[in-house]
Amino acid sequence: MKHVFAYVSLIFLLAAGTRLHAQGNYEIQVYGAETVAPRSTMFELHSNFTAVGQKDYVDRQAPTYHALHETIEITQGINNWSEVGFYIFTTFQSGLGAQWVGSHIRPRVRVPEKWGWPVGVSLSTEIGYQRALFSLDTWTWEIRPIIDQTRGRWYWAVNPALERTWHGPDVALGVGFSPAAKVSYDFTRQISGGIEYYADYGSLTNIASLHYQQQQIFPAVDLNVSPDWEINFGAGVGPTAATDHWIFKVIIGRRFNWGKSKRSAQ
Amino acid sequence: MAGLARTQTPSEPAADYSIEIADLEWELGPRKKIHTTAYNGQIPGKLFHLTEGKPVSIDIVNRLDHAEIVHWHGQWIPPAVDGAMEEGTPMIPPGRRTRIEFTPRPSGLHWYHTHAPANHDLHRGLYSGQFGPLLVEPRQNPGSYDQEQVLVLHEWEPYVAASEDGSQEIQYASGSINGRMLGHGDPIRVKRGQRVLFHILNASATQIRWLSLPGHQFEIEALDGRPVPTQAKVETLRLGPAERISAVVAMDQPGVWILGEVLEELRNLGIGVVIEYAGQSGKPQSADPKALTWDYRVFGDAASVPQKPDITIPLAFTSKFQGHGAMDRWCINDKSFPATDPVVLKQGLRHRLVFDNRSQDDHPVHLHRHAFELVSIHGAPTGGVYKDVVIVKARTRVEADLVANNPGPSLFHCHQQDHMDMGFMTLFRYE
Repeated sequence: MKHVFAYVSLIFLLAAGTRLHAQGNYEIQVYGAETVAPRSTMFELHSNFTAVGQKDYVDRQAPTYHALHETIEITQGINNWSEVGFYIFTTFQSGLGAQWVGSHIRPRVRVPEKWGWPVGVSLSTEIGYQRALFSLDTWTWEIRPIIDQTRGRWYWAVNPALERTWHGPDVALGVGFSPAAKVSYDFTRQISGGIEYYADYGSLTNIASLHYQQQQIFPAVDLNVSPDWEINFGAGVGPTAATDHWIFKVIIGRRFNWGKSKRSAQ
Repeated sequence: MAGLARTQTPSEPAADYSIEIADLEWELGPRKKIHTTAYNGQIPGKLFHLTEGKPVSIDIVNRLDHAEIVHWHGQWIPPAVDGAMEEGTPMIPPGRRTRIEFTPRPSGLHWYHTHAPANHDLHRGLYSGQFGPLLVEPRQNPGSYDQEQVLVLHEWEPYVAASEDGSQEIQYASGSINGRMLGHGDPIRVKRGQRVLFHILNASATQIRWLSLPGHQFEIEALDGRPVPTQAKVETLRLGPAERISAVVAMDQPGVWILGEVLEELRNLGIGVVIEYAGQSGKPQSADPKALTWDYRVFGDAASVPQKPDITIPLAFTSKFQGHGAMDRWCINDKSFPATDPVVLKQGLRHRLVFDNRSQDDHPVHLHRHAFELVSIHGAPTGGVYKDVVIVKARTRVEADLVANNPGPSLFHCHQQDHMDMGFMTLFRYE
């Protein structure tokens, strides 16, 4: 099953005693537990367009309204239970043109399939830098447990991610809680559809009120057209004041296998 | 002599051979033990040397807590003893003993193995150690070789994994040849100038294997126990589950080599055996073959013109998607066993079986109690190669002629355990 992965870069700011926020959606995926196979590399392009979002600068951070975010993700399989991903975040928007936003690195390990666990389990950690123009928290760290399961035509995944700012105003917030989840159904071998959920509840020890929480729901479709391709698209609704209200996302991934023998026979 | 299966009476003399089916803890390597079920406390089961045309009796005792059955793969014997409950062979209840009697034919490398379904239990069926080689000697043996070796391939510790195309498949954590992981069994010791006849059986539950012996070539003598018209030399061997190859190797490259899977990651699982020349030592060497090619037609008779068939039987193989979290359901002519329509044969007539694989998977299809002659592979004609298992690659056709000469129900199925369990079977019966 093609897994859909997610990551939402969410930034909470404390200003004049009031929790404000600025938001940047660069990679919107719910992660599956599977890792890229050894001697294989996955190249993904994440394209996210904010149709209805933050129009003004918030504490010197760029708005998201009508911003097109393009993220290149390159993931290299290490062995049957680990991989390393690398991200390049960019944005294209009025008044700023094309801008490099930042880069992250993301090692991940998983419980090997041969252990025969009833659910897939993996753990990723992501460390990265983003320019202050787009996030006052310039150095961040995330740890993301991933649990998923495929049963018949159904698939579910949960990512109860924890975030920590290393440099920036949110250092004082401590550990933030940003869960994501997904449920999908295989309509055919090629087409799966479902719901993806992304949220940021703020500090784990001081959950923000609903008004300041970020909540997004994405009806999304996965196209399983080839083992080498990954295609996911969806439209997201953000119902809270702190969330961009409409986002469209497309993920296109291509897997390359290196050094595997070709076997041909009659 | 007709085949016979019956409960042994106390006053009867001992059978020629016996098989005890029981639990087994087996050491694949120094730090690798598995728990499985097997024949006579060993993996593979002991090599049975039978003589073509000479009747044999075999006692089978089932020490397991579930019913079992032993199939005599490649033998043209009656349904009562062939070892498929779908044909009418009785299963052996837990704790019970049965005696079977049959007259072995044809000669060549064959095998005996469980024919019980595994369904979703990856400890049963051919995922277990219930298999062994069977060498039926012809009444005259004109073989020209100095040494004879039987190699039996198998994988262990199966688990369900997501395949690259997103569906579920069976993968394995370890593998062996003759019950030992590469480097942990005795090497095969040879001398320069020797001709070694290898009888190789792929007893895998699901996997197609490619083998090579660096610097050497295999002169193919027989496929599935049947001599081939052209004894071509090849660098690599391909064996689907249940396929057998008998090939002579001229030992003319002194050294210490690995005869094993061509892929390093699969050799690392254990699928290989060391070939050690006299007076040579050092780390066993492996090398990638120049190309991975296998073509049944190479061993055929190029001048052979297949006879016109009396009856053509189309057999289309398709799958029904059950979700990415389930195994596909398999169909023959759009029906899944037990709902499949039986194929009706007319005794003495030549039937052309058209294996039309419309699925995305390769299938090693097997017909019990008969051999068929390959007449076309993906549209290219051939002749003279007789087999009881043939790999039909995805989205291709293979045509094979079957002369109906062994009355009685005969099971036809994909020899991949997971496919068989998911309905890829039908019965051939005589009109």
